[in-house]
Amino acid sequence: MNMRKISQTVVAAGLALALHAPVDAAARQAGSGDEARPTPFWSDGRVNLDAAPGEKGFWNVMRGSVFGTGGTGLETNLEFDEIPFQDWARDLYEYRQSRNGLDDPHARCFPAGGMRFFTVPNGLNIVDQPEMNRMFFISGENRDWRRIAMEPGREHPPEDELLPTYFGDSIGWWEGETLVVDTVGFNERFWMIRGGMPHTRFLHLTERFTRLDYDTMRYEVTIDDKGAYTEPWTGGWLIPWQTVNYDNSEGGEIHEYFCGDNERDSAQFDILIEAER
Amino acid sequence: MVPGDSTMKRLKYGFVAVGIVAIAGVLVAPLAAHHSFSAQYDSNQPVSLRGAVTKVEWMNPHVYFYIDVRNEESGRTENWALEMGAPAVIQRNGWRQNTMKIGDVVLVEGTRARSGELLANARSVTMASNGERLGAGSSENVTP
Repeated sequence: MNMRKISQTVVAAGLALALHAPVDAAARQAGSGDEARPTPFWSDGRVNLDAAPGEKGFWNVMRGSVFGTGGTGLETNLEFDEIPFQDWARDLYEYRQSRNGLDDPHARCFPAGGMRFFTVPNGLNIVDQPEMNRMFFISGENRDWRRIAMEPGREHPPEDELLPTYFGDSIGWWEGETLVVDTVGFNERFWMIRGGMPHTRFLHLTERFTRLDYDTMRYEVTIDDKGAYTEPWTGGWLIPWQTVNYDNSEGGEIHEYFCGDNERDSAQFDILIEAER
Repeated sequence: MVPGDSTMKRLKYGFVAVGIVAIAGVLVAPLAAHHSFSAQYDSNQPVSLRGAVTKVEWMNPHVYFYIDVRNEESGRTENWALEMGAPAVIQRNGWRQNTMKIGDVVLVEGTRARSGELLANARSVTMASNGERLGAGSSENVTP
């Protein structure tokens, strides 16, 4: 094969691979010009927040930032300097950032509490059971799941009866075509989002899920934590729908993933932390 | 104006270079991780290791494989651990469970662990037997 054929083959192969390489769904939606499919509805008029009957797929919740308007960030997001940190919380965030996530509990396989639930690999499905007045968010990340109580008039337990947990006590309702989820009762053993934004046991999240079209979910969250922030603040991002498996093979199904299966990183983290002493 | 021979040669090699860069860019594209790369690995300590595979752990959250590497200074054989992405992630790059077998000689490009142990995060793996090069699903350059 002469050099001309070799060069043409290499270029063609490179371009073919580049064109068919995994593409961030949100980026694809933002720039592709493809017409989005409309939001699907159930026969009773509720928004279908998951796959339409007969179809498969899941929400790719790998990326998202609660501040900043770049990428998939909402146009209403605050910039970092506008976040109403209390001084200690800002200092803690900057400390966590300086250590490049060395102290991140999720890196040691602890559950992804708070908004972190929506910034982890391995996909997310939403199971709506109106006949049972409940909804489940099922994450492929360690098969974590959240239960959203949907009984009309449901209230949170009294504070002194709440066991602080990673995912808290969630109550949900519909406001038109937006699912609203109100959660309290968090423990402090997780980072509530990638990067280490601090929170305390006073954390109260109000999450709003709006399916803008078949392939895009608008996730907006109000963070109300009197222990870490001087006032409530709001941010969010767009979450893309994915119709291939997480390894990009055909299927559109969440597969098993457990962080603790062969986790080796924490031993390295411990060595580095011990070396600091 | 017809390009001369030297210009044509530069164009040919330029096309080849572009193609190789395009392929390499796809194969070693940084992929998502559940934790920060830079907390554990030092981008200022690149490594290039050649050795025979002694073990493969095809498991979450990271695939690990181990190779015996001859330390040219000491003359001793050292067993290095190499970390790749999760199975689902590296399968996008063409990996399968049986892509690498015990005894296969491989060349690994990667980044050494900050701890100083015989551990590195692999960026790419090249099979000595056929020259096939696969990206390792490294999360280097990915914002945690």
